[in-house]
Amino acid sequence: MIAQILIHMFLGCAVSSTVLYAMGSRGNANALKVARGIFSALALILLASSTILITLILSHDFRYTYVQSYSSADLPTHLLIASFYSGQEGSFLLWTLLVAGIGVILAPYARRFGYEGAAMSFYSLILVFLGLLLVAKNPFAYVWQTYAADGIQETFVPEKGRGLNPLLHNAWITIHPPILFTGFASMSVSFVFAMAGLVKREYHRWIDVALPWTLAATGILGFGIMLGGFWAYETLGWGGFWGWDPVENSSLIPWLVSVALVHTMLVQKRTRGLVKTNMVLAVAAFVMVLYSTFLTRSGVLGDTSVHSFVDPGKFAFWILLAFMVTFVAIGVYLVVIRSRDMNIAREDFTPTTREFMLAIGSALIMASAVLVTIGTSWPVLLEIIGQPKVAVATTFYDNVHLILVPLVFVVNGLSLLLQWRSSPLAVIRRRLAVAAVATAACTAVTVVLGVHKPEMIVLAAAAWFSLVINAQHMWSFITKSAAMLGAYVSHLGFALLMFGVIATSGYTVVHHAVLPQGVPTAVGDYTLTFAGKEQVEKQFRDREKFRYAVSIARGSDSTTVFPVLYYSDFNQRQSAFLEPGIRWGMIRDLYISPKATEMEDVYKKTTVQRGASIKMPFDTTITLQLERFSMPTTEEPAPDGRMRMSALVQVESFGVRADSILRVPTRISQTSTGMAFDPEWTAIPGTQWGIGLVKIVRDNENVDQSTADFVFRDMGKPLPTPKETFTVEFSEKPLIGLVWIGVVTMVAGFAFSIARYARQAAQRSTLLVSTESPHSGQQTIKANTANLHPNES
Amino acid sequence: MNPKTLRVVIAIVLVAGLGTASVYFLQGSSIEYTNLQRAGQLGKTVQVVGTWDKPKGMNYDVESNIFSFTMKDEQGKSMFVELTGAKPNNFEIATSIVVKGRVEGNTLKASHVLTKCPSKYEGNASDLKRTT
Repeated sequence: MIAQILIHMFLGCAVSSTVLYAMGSRGNANALKVARGIFSALALILLASSTILITLILSHDFRYTYVQSYSSADLPTHLLIASFYSGQEGSFLLWTLLVAGIGVILAPYARRFGYEGAAMSFYSLILVFLGLLLVAKNPFAYVWQTYAADGIQETFVPEKGRGLNPLLHNAWITIHPPILFTGFASMSVSFVFAMAGLVKREYHRWIDVALPWTLAATGILGFGIMLGGFWAYETLGWGGFWGWDPVENSSLIPWLVSVALVHTMLVQKRTRGLVKTNMVLAVAAFVMVLYSTFLTRSGVLGDTSVHSFVDPGKFAFWILLAFMVTFVAIGVYLVVIRSRDMNIAREDFTPTTREFMLAIGSALIMASAVLVTIGTSWPVLLEIIGQPKVAVATTFYDNVHLILVPLVFVVNGLSLLLQWRSSPLAVIRRRLAVAAVATAACTAVTVVLGVHKPEMIVLAAAAWFSLVINAQHMWSFITKSAAMLGAYVSHLGFALLMFGVIATSGYTVVHHAVLPQGVPTAVGDYTLTFAGKEQVEKQFRDREKFRYAVSIARGSDSTTVFPVLYYSDFNQRQSAFLEPGIRWGMIRDLYISPKATEMEDVYKKTTVQRGASIKMPFDTTITLQLERFSMPTTEEPAPDGRMRMSALVQVESFGVRADSILRVPTRISQTSTGMAFDPEWTAIPGTQWGIGLVKIVRDNENVDQSTADFVFRDMGKPLPTPKETFTVEFSEKPLIGLVWIGVVTMVAGFAFSIARYARQAAQRSTLLVSTESPHSGQQTIKANTANLHPNES
Repeated sequence: MNPKTLRVVIAIVLVAGLGTASVYFLQGSSIEYTNLQRAGQLGKTVQVVGTWDKPKGMNYDVESNIFSFTMKDEQGKSMFVELTGAKPNNFEIATSIVVKGRVEGNTLKASHVLTKCPSKYEGNASDLKRTT
């Protein structure tokens, strides 16, 4: 109850801090002071609400719908923590908490630059909408509130939680979503600085202030996206790391816009050009975060994704829509009313300059963002305009990027060959010739190594061009100034990533393999052997989870991997949960995706119709007549909870009828392939033989047509273990390691750049404080800019 | 050519080139949602929404890696489906399925089958009352 009140208090605080910060930005010092207090209060309230939610989850308080829906008592602590954001309500709370947390750091930073009032007012407005979403999708609703319509009483306490989807049971769930959400949350910062810049008519200075934040947001979001890809590859067994799925795309789009923004901000910093572009891109980056949230959280994409979409309800849908529309409106309005003003600062670029190439590069990255947006939204767009529904195949994204990515690489290489402002053509020709020769040599090696598809050769050549030039720049800066390396390191990482993509997407070899237990099977150049399985994670009662030991051998080299396949009560054992087994390697990963498993029949089955008789196969002196079946309702369930049914059999030995009817029970469960029968071996009185019931086919219209399958064995001998056949997809994925190395390198480059520009910004704020009027401050900065980059060409 | 003209030319070439290419790719990659009748006439890759015709059963052939079943579209027409791959997740409990594939003869050769289960990850009141 307290928590529900806290959420409403938070919304109130967000509204007042929006208003008070706005008043503060107009010079009301008292309002500013109050606003600061309220903002701290708001952050504390969110911290308190989050603490309450995590406490409720850890203490298994299933009176709360959210706790009941996403956690259970048998989860280990790290998964209980993940339950916090595994549902829509909790993930909105995490997002809000992160936005508020970043706000606490942002406010004093903005204050140093004189941006506090304006920036924090816009920032608080974001929190207002998040607060509305939390009111609509409240994580603290009680079960009896949620299910009031189903007649759930206030006193009702569910005995157990539904638990966390077993798909999510691994360490990545505790890492990937929080990082991704931090990335999303930090994307708000460049937006609010841009808006503050427009309000204050400071069209250049906001760039310096915002740049470290834009870089941080881009780096963190990029890292978060990669972790998602790695998770999909390593645990979920989707085979690849990227599938152009709407959920993946929706985090990629704001990232792409943000990457473009980083580059255009750099251009403005050096040349004072692209003023309006930067404003528009800063708005676009943030709005795309909202649009992505809308696409993936409003239920509009229904059946086009592997991710699950839960319809959040009408209220939340309209809030999400209003959230997006409001911020588009604010951005467009401010850019339009300041448009003439900003034209004064305009500067034209000559094509043979670095700034021109950076602008082209950003345009190409934006083209990618726009096309991915169109592709992702296409089904929704067509539906809105009343066209028949259409899905977009992933080939669209592949084809588009086979054009865009090589262009981006070439433009990136050229931008580094050229200089800011103007470049002497003779120097460029020499540099270009060197780079071209190196590129040609590297590409030739790539072709010799086995890359033969024309489009892949083009992509590889472009990547080499960029890599060669960036490596050369790195080399020349590494001794002079390590702080300058950021951009080159990131570009190098991008090239490495693309080499990984070329290798895995173009040259992965996939085999389908059927592996009977203990039988070495030749698959491609390898010999696979399914050795056996071992149960793991026995603490969970909803599943029997097995690791399948599969050895992969080639020549004398042999290794064993452990793919996983199991069923869980979470989805009523309707379909299997799968995890791949991977042999990691520098040259290639060997990847085993489990597909299916089948048990061998140890005994020969005998089918008997109801009312009919058979001779016992091992002893024909015995006759068995299937009288009828008992109904499951009349049977005690088995100790493990499975349903029981019995066949009632009349036994005759040497023509003499036994005194009593023999009950032959079996345990029944639902599995992926229908009903599964687990026989309870029953001794046939007076013999050493046992009988088991392994299948019942009921015919309700004509009961006499019902049949039973029986198996027989010598009760004096131990049960033989049936052999299992494990079906897998075995693939060799060359150089996939470059994908991860590439992204990590990219992110590392961001870290260098963040450090560099944060230091510059800090120097600037000191300068500003020491000067009286903002105008002379700007002058000083301008004069100082020239001194700050003596090394840059 | 002066710098200004060059800029304009580059801009036009980029926008026109990329625009044309993307429209072309988008058309090539668009996969229509349709019914079985039209899927048979079109003969190209489409998506068909429908349900699994349960009484006709299903089969996964381990050797050929083909999962087969019969589907019924929203108009009630049914067709035999062969999916390359194993049985899709939640196949039996799906309230509807989306089959992506191409009709060859009297068989819908599918590359993907998406299953739709509205309550997949959401609790409901009856779940609450179920106890261990």
